[in-house]
Amino acid sequence: MFKKVLIANRGEIALRVIRACREMGIPNAAVYSNADRQSLHVLLADEAYFVGPPPSRESYLNVENLMKAIKKSGADAVHPGYGFLSENADFARLLKENGITFVGPSPESIELMGDKVQARKTMMDAGVPTVPGSKGAVTDLEELTRVVNEIGYPVIIKAAAGGGGKGMRIVKRPEDLELSYNAAKSEAMNYFSNDVVYVERFIQNPKHIEIQVFGDNHGNAVHLFERECSIQRRHQKLIEESPSIAVPEEVRRRMGEVAVTATKAIGYSGAGTFEFIFDNETKEFFFMEMNTRLQVEHPVTEMVTGYDLVKEQLNVAAGKKLSFKQEDITQNGHAIEVRVCAEDPETYLPSPGKIERCRHPQGPFIRVDSYAYPQYEVPIYYDPMVAKLIAWGKTRQDAIDRLQRALAEFTLSGIKTNIVLLRSILEQEKFIDGTYTTQFLEKDFKNRRDLFHFVDDRAFLIAAAIEAHNDLKNRSVEKMTDKSRWKDFGRIGALR
Amino acid sequence: MYFEGTSKGKKIEVEIFEHPTEWLITLNDGELKETHAVKKWDYQRMDDAISFLFENTSYMINVHGEGVKYNVYTRGSYREIPLHNDESLLHESLKGGGGLTGGDSLSSGMPGKIVDILVAEGDEVKADQPVLIMEAMKMENEMRASRDCVIKEIKVEKGQSVESGSVLIVYGDK
Repeated sequence: MFKKVLIANRGEIALRVIRACREMGIPNAAVYSNADRQSLHVLLADEAYFVGPPPSRESYLNVENLMKAIKKSGADAVHPGYGFLSENADFARLLKENGITFVGPSPESIELMGDKVQARKTMMDAGVPTVPGSKGAVTDLEELTRVVNEIGYPVIIKAAAGGGGKGMRIVKRPEDLELSYNAAKSEAMNYFSNDVVYVERFIQNPKHIEIQVFGDNHGNAVHLFERECSIQRRHQKLIEESPSIAVPEEVRRRMGEVAVTATKAIGYSGAGTFEFIFDNETKEFFFMEMNTRLQVEHPVTEMVTGYDLVKEQLNVAAGKKLSFKQEDITQNGHAIEVRVCAEDPETYLPSPGKIERCRHPQGPFIRVDSYAYPQYEVPIYYDPMVAKLIAWGKTRQDAIDRLQRALAEFTLSGIKTNIVLLRSILEQEKFIDGTYTTQFLEKDFKNRRDLFHFVDDRAFLIAAAIEAHNDLKNRSVEKMTDKSRWKDFGRIGALR
Repeated sequence: MYFEGTSKGKKIEVEIFEHPTEWLITLNDGELKETHAVKKWDYQRMDDAISFLFENTSYMINVHGEGVKYNVYTRGSYREIPLHNDESLLHESLKGGGGLTGGDSLSSGMPGKIVDILVAEGDEVKADQPVLIMEAMKMENEMRASRDCVIKEIKVEKGQSVESGSVLIVYGDK
């Protein structure tokens, strides 16, 4: 096993990897930017190395500084987490050249799947169903218009180097095509330094279903069933669950088989995810992309299969064979994850700032992967997600009830969070009956029940009134003793 | 003490009298007027939170903010409650705070960078129409007009970095 693992990431995922290392007895090293000196991953790691100023580009994406930290720490393996450099083939290659193990697939696999246009071609060759669209990149507006006229509106324009909703635009009307094309290109340029885009048909009632796969360096590959991640806002996932009640047993089996075949076809090693767009009417599924890393939502798979995916990543990266075979893997019960973000629940705008109070939920079958703590300042530079809350239940309804209960126990004060939004979604009919699609928040949530109905309004008002009363009383006392003009102003009767 | 407040967009009048062992609080939203006697025993400040037993329902509450806006958190929910009277407004204006202004402009809630401006001065826009795109926390955020109005002044340029609270666009009436 490794002598030391350096975690080239931050936030909850850095904690997740630290915990796996601890349980395996592997010394671990964190890295941090100026904005993260007080982040929990730095506080909990065995060692911590400074890698630069707050902007990601200058720290967590700064390969030069990371290499220095790796050398200094003496780490012989690097876990990239998700985001940042986790799908950067050059970084993986550089590590390899320096004799350091990248905990993830080969640079070639990353490269192949990282280029969405290449990935699509490769998958078509491997017999994986794909959505109708441009055969490759579209080079100009003229070509785009021609392709779109062939496949029909609505269409979706995507960045070839993209992911996480960046550089992605849905176009519903011809008059929006040019604006959206330019917007997608400029966003792609901004985030990925690559403005190549492609286009495909936009499926009307889609679900997002993905299959977790795992390969090793000995030619073995398995799948760990599906996750449904259809609840998304601005193309970013918010709630994930496993299993999906929309997928019939026969389709589930086929999706798994297709994913394993494709995993073997590209000689993939480590944890990966095949993302499919799933037509809930026809139960057809089409390949969207493969994520060549650990996913944010991996805990739901861990909860239903019982396997620790991060430990398995480390095992496989160290050259061991997969510790489980396909027939060992079963889905037991149901798990749902919600992403708790520092953001306005109504506008989805980020709301960074200082967490005043933080109390995590506890109790049976609840898992909290969080890096929040009281008085912690959520930096403006990174992802607004501060915690993942996962509930397990024997049935789906058990898991939903448990999540509701746990969310009501969750205190994160001082900043706005989306906890009320998550609670509202969990009680919506379409969520409960499982017919929700990726457009749920945009389309079906319009007649949302009041986001703030969970607590008696009067309790809020009375508490605010008492605090306002006390504040004013205290301030008047200060001013009075200063012999200022507030003397005349003070409501002396209230002062005693 | 007398306060005017807003809860869920509804105007509320709040009157509060402190007695040695309790607060007498009258809430009046124009339709319903009710008075609550809240015993200090039932509203206790602890180290980490306030324990509020309201009509025997147990709330563990955190309140942050001062002056004219209070954020109240409990049971995974929260509420922003603007609450003011003449005295607190005067305190705020002396402090140099903005008090209760706003609604006539679009300002940034956090530091960020202006990616694109989708309107020009003099444009008529509808409520909820996107007016500019700002990048913050790795996301491009579409900022929308809060009401039907005319774009009176654009105070920022494409590519410009802005601080939290900066006024970006000033609205005018049609």
